[in-house]
Amino acid sequence: MNEFALVWEHRDMILIGFQNTLLIVVLGTVGSLVLGVLLTIPLMSRRRGPALIGTIYVDAMRCVPFLLFAYLLYFALPSLGLDFDNWWTGVVALILYNGAYMAELFRGAWANLPKELIEAGQAYGFTGWVLLRRIILPPVIFAAIPLVGNQLIQIVKDSAFLTIIAVAELTHEATSLQTTYFVPFASFLAVVFLYWLTCLSIESTVGYANRLAEVRR
Amino acid sequence: MTSYDYYSIAYGALATVSLSLISIVLGVPLGLGLALVRWSRLPVFNQLTIAYVSIVRTCPTVTLALLIFYALPVVGISMEPVSAGILTLTLSTAAFNTEIWRNALVNFPQDQYDAALSFGMNRNLRFRRIILPHISRTSLPALVSEMTLQVKSTPAVAIIGIVEITRAAIRVGARTYEPLPPFIFALVLYSLIVLAFVKTQRAVERRFAPPGDH
Amino acid sequence: MTDDQTTMSQLAVQQRPVILEVSGLSKSFGANPVLRDISLKIHKAETVCLLGPSGSGKSTLLRCMNWLEQPDGGTVFLAGQPLGARPGGGLRMRDKELAAMRTRIGMVFQHFALWPHMSVLQNVMEAPVHVLKQTKDEARATAVSLLQRVGLAGKMDSFPARLSGGQKQRVAIARALAMKPEVILFDEPTSSLDPELVGEVLAVMQDLVREGMTMVVVTHEMGFARDVASRVVFMDGGHIVESGPPDQFFEAPQTERARQFLMRYAARNN
Repeated sequence: MNEFALVWEHRDMILIGFQNTLLIVVLGTVGSLVLGVLLTIPLMSRRRGPALIGTIYVDAMRCVPFLLFAYLLYFALPSLGLDFDNWWTGVVALILYNGAYMAELFRGAWANLPKELIEAGQAYGFTGWVLLRRIILPPVIFAAIPLVGNQLIQIVKDSAFLTIIAVAELTHEATSLQTTYFVPFASFLAVVFLYWLTCLSIESTVGYANRLAEVRR
Repeated sequence: MTSYDYYSIAYGALATVSLSLISIVLGVPLGLGLALVRWSRLPVFNQLTIAYVSIVRTCPTVTLALLIFYALPVVGISMEPVSAGILTLTLSTAAFNTEIWRNALVNFPQDQYDAALSFGMNRNLRFRRIILPHISRTSLPALVSEMTLQVKSTPAVAIIGIVEITRAAIRVGARTYEPLPPFIFALVLYSLIVLAFVKTQRAVERRFAPPGDH
Repeated sequence: MTDDQTTMSQLAVQQRPVILEVSGLSKSFGANPVLRDISLKIHKAETVCLLGPSGSGKSTLLRCMNWLEQPDGGTVFLAGQPLGARPGGGLRMRDKELAAMRTRIGMVFQHFALWPHMSVLQNVMEAPVHVLKQTKDEARATAVSLLQRVGLAGKMDSFPARLSGGQKQRVAIARALAMKPEVILFDEPTSSLDPELVGEVLAVMQDLVREGMTMVVVTHEMGFARDVASRVVFMDGGHIVESGPPDQFFEAPQTERARQFLMRYAARNN
């Protein structure tokens, strides 16, 4: 119990880590959703060039463990002349990595879209960007919501890997708390609990969004 | 990079894959056992399983590894990094496998179960001869897909000092002062391993797709 | 048949031993009663067809007869022995005993319920080998001859997914027969079949009747009930409304509800 009291005393450390994790997850979510949608367009393109490039990118990301990818960026970005600090490197890694997974989810939803729906749009004279934005993307996104929810949980879990490149997120703060005061049990249990809370709130939000989307499917 | 460096990274990859495979071999039956606990609604154990699945499913593997490696000794269970790594990975994949098996059990066709009952099969026989062969087939695609995810999250155990692919690459990088080449090599190597799983997954999905699903 | 002859044959049936008896059976799903105080005796070599509109409780009654559905009250007897167990009720039967009694009651399901991971032959051999502990050779010999009898000797090694609905149901009948049951329960055996496949299944069932099998059949096949049943039991709203020989039921139904049912049925089929 002493342990828990110590952790409570130093809760500001845990809270800083929690704040960072939440911020990283929010940025990662928004970024990977945007990247996912943008990537879906070449993936579904009828032209072979863009489709091929999109597929290679998505498949490559799906074959790489996140930790190795984050490390790669950590070492590679500076040599490309991009001087990001660890924190931003982590965010960029999350976005580039999970964006590919999001794109794959959207591609699947798009492929399952009834052809008539798109044809009806075309019949009413929609083309190009407007067709995409008004007719195709909304049902694709509605259909993908439950799977997107799973991917968001994955973003939360991936964010913990960033401790290894010394990003001051939740797990990292718990580790430094434990090495300073030797309170492994309480500090790790506390962060496991915070991850759990985060994911539960994500799941209930996604569940709510899914019910809203239900009537529009 | 010397050929020894390549060798040490490849060796690390082998360690990672072995850890993944061990956790899969342990985690798939463990998940089945826990799914049966949930299915039979054994009081207390059912609630414990629900809690376990809910927490572990949302817990980052890195964090779980730290918890098991550093916190369990506090309650008197201390483990070598490798055992702690295997325990971490097994608990983590078993949580997902529990949900997969349970889903298959819940969706098991009632009339096939009734048929087994009406032929006087006892619980053991019903499970072994009728239910298990069926749910193994229906769960396989999801199980293989979880295996792929598992192989990808295995590098997490690097944090407790297991020399797997990530650590091997770091070591080489630290010695040669050129961190990039060992990581590129590690990535390529690992991608090939995951690719093998992804290919298997696609083959399994095609082979076991329910009729009329296309 | 004249009325006198009908009565005579009814009397003859009633002198045969009772295989299955249902007494005072009641069952509700939630607040919704589906069986209200049902009593019924099935004699040896009788073919009893349970007719009635959907939701009348006939399938539930059939499923209570081998305890796939637990009634809330009442008892089922197989050859005089009570069957099943009720939590809190007077009757308690261990799973093992219940299983042993179920082996004596065959069942054929609406959606066949063949085990999809086993070949046709394995489906038929499964319970004789693993429940009745017959040797594989013995079970195989029986299975082969039964499959020949239902005209499917050529499909022994096929898997159920490769068969037509009619073929699946014939396998299901062979599977039930392999247990040498004292009575077979048929739960709408032709309802999920395409119309052109109904005949082959009914033909097999007709053979069974001729051979003196005891059968309880929930069905919507009025022609089958009329030609083959030894007795028709008409249910509505969880009650047995009318029970009697098929000629009487189809020519001169005693109750208004049965008349309505037959009229609606005739209208639908014209």
